[in-house]
Amino acid sequence: MKKRMSLRLVLGFAAAAVLAGAGRAQEPKFTVHNPLGQPPAIARVPMAPRIDSLEGKTIYIVDIGFTDTHQFFTEMRDLLGAKYPETEWVVRTKIGTYFDDDPALWAEIKEKGHGMIMGIGH
Amino acid sequence: MFEELVKTYTFKKGMPNQRFTFVPHPITGLPAATCRRFLQGNDPVTGKPVLDEIVAALTLPLSAEDSKKGFIERPTPRMVPPDTEENLHRLFLENQWTDGLPIVLPTEARVAEMLKGTSHAPDEPVGKMQPSSPHEAWNYDVERVAVNAVMAGARPEHLPVILALASTGVPSLYTSTTSFARMVVVNGPIRNELRMNAGIGALGPFNQANSVIGRAWTLMSINLSASGKAGETYMGSQGNNYNYNNLCMPENEEELPEGWKPFHVQLGYKPGESVVSTFNGWGFIHPDQSFGKPFHTQIPFWLKFVSPFSPAMLLLDPTIIHQLKEREGFDSKEQLIEWIHKNTKVSVGDWLDNFYSVQNFVHPVGRRGVEPFASWLKLPREEMIPQIASPDNIHILSVGGGTNLFWQAGDFGHVSSASVDKWR
Repeated sequence: MKKRMSLRLVLGFAAAAVLAGAGRAQEPKFTVHNPLGQPPAIARVPMAPRIDSLEGKTIYIVDIGFTDTHQFFTEMRDLLGAKYPETEWVVRTKIGTYFDDDPALWAEIKEKGHGMIMGIGH
Repeated sequence: MFEELVKTYTFKKGMPNQRFTFVPHPITGLPAATCRRFLQGNDPVTGKPVLDEIVAALTLPLSAEDSKKGFIERPTPRMVPPDTEENLHRLFLENQWTDGLPIVLPTEARVAEMLKGTSHAPDEPVGKMQPSSPHEAWNYDVERVAVNAVMAGARPEHLPVILALASTGVPSLYTSTTSFARMVVVNGPIRNELRMNAGIGALGPFNQANSVIGRAWTLMSINLSASGKAGETYMGSQGNNYNYNNLCMPENEEELPEGWKPFHVQLGYKPGESVVSTFNGWGFIHPDQSFGKPFHTQIPFWLKFVSPFSPAMLLLDPTIIHQLKEREGFDSKEQLIEWIHKNTKVSVGDWLDNFYSVQNFVHPVGRRGVEPFASWLKLPREEMIPQIASPDNIHILSVGGGTNLFWQAGDFGHVSSASVDKWR
């Protein structure tokens, strides 16, 4: 009796599996459009060369000018200055709002600096 | 929280290995001791000491990968591989190609039908869109706009308005940590051709054209410019519920009294032209009012909350507009706008102390000599100055069905307008 029950159960499962498989096979497939726009190609930009040592170097710390964040950058200058006294740490605030470019500052850093830390955020 | 944004952004700018150090957020207004604690602590992303990471970023040699040149191409296939309806719906949802609500799948037949709504070729370029100005802009053609229009539930006759919106290049999901809303206003004959609702419930979910045009703008922003990827191309801290439909409405031109121009005519378009306009802001409120007093003298009080850096917008029910004209003597929108500009004032002290946007945006601009801000910065604190910097930043729109003397005030400013007729 037990054997017959088990056999019936197995057959039942098998039939259900076949029916389900047939159902899936009949489900229609659709071709739809991709909704995405076309991103531009990315132009790789080689990163700026690094310095091998901080000693005797000038490093700019640039504050992009978000409200009430200048304190953070002066503290950064003081802590780095205490830890690396052979390095000159210069804090500068970029002109205008954070939307504005500051070519004069970038030119100054290229001329006088050996590295730059850009502070972004608020 | 900014890690994904920073990494994806530098990748798109061509420096996938740019070096970053994170500190806890925010840093604005922190006392010196807290700044020091953050700087002497660990980077919350990497767990490494912040100062050591900064020095390592300056001094560790570059890898060959860091110095690479060349281009990374990212072509977008035109079609999605065939699959069942259920699987495709799941794919669109999981790929974040939707606004989270069900969409209409853009089958070839549906897109072909949608394209009958315009005379323009499917491969004609429409424009470029980007989540905000520093982000990359994506290109799209008429067909890609039609695909998103289908997804939004639009009909072919809605397509010229949706194409005009797309042609502005303005996304509805503008990324900023401050959760912007955007608004779309339709003017001209197309409003009535599409049976848009400018009357009772115009800003509610009661009209197909209002609903699907507004929604299509958000789907286009998500898919045609990659806006709206939370943590990457969308950083609004709270988000903005207006983004679902973008306050899409037609102006109630028929109820404007003589002398009061529809918005597109104010811009210089002809009354018979159909135009779509976009606006940017954060929200609307309805401060209380007194029916026993003239309305115009209450408007400066209504606008007290508007930031001096922002524009101001009034959504006025036609009943209020008629009262302003007939009982209070304002013969045009422009006359009322001038009056509002002259009479809505703030003290220099309040202006400087109480508005973050003045401190963050106006102050640096004024220091560079840009007027009128440069002069205002020199005034005594008790001096009164216009709260809205220019009359051009004050907008008045007619909307509503006249069931109440109702109005709303908001901080929305005009961003762009485009001809709908060009896209028929």
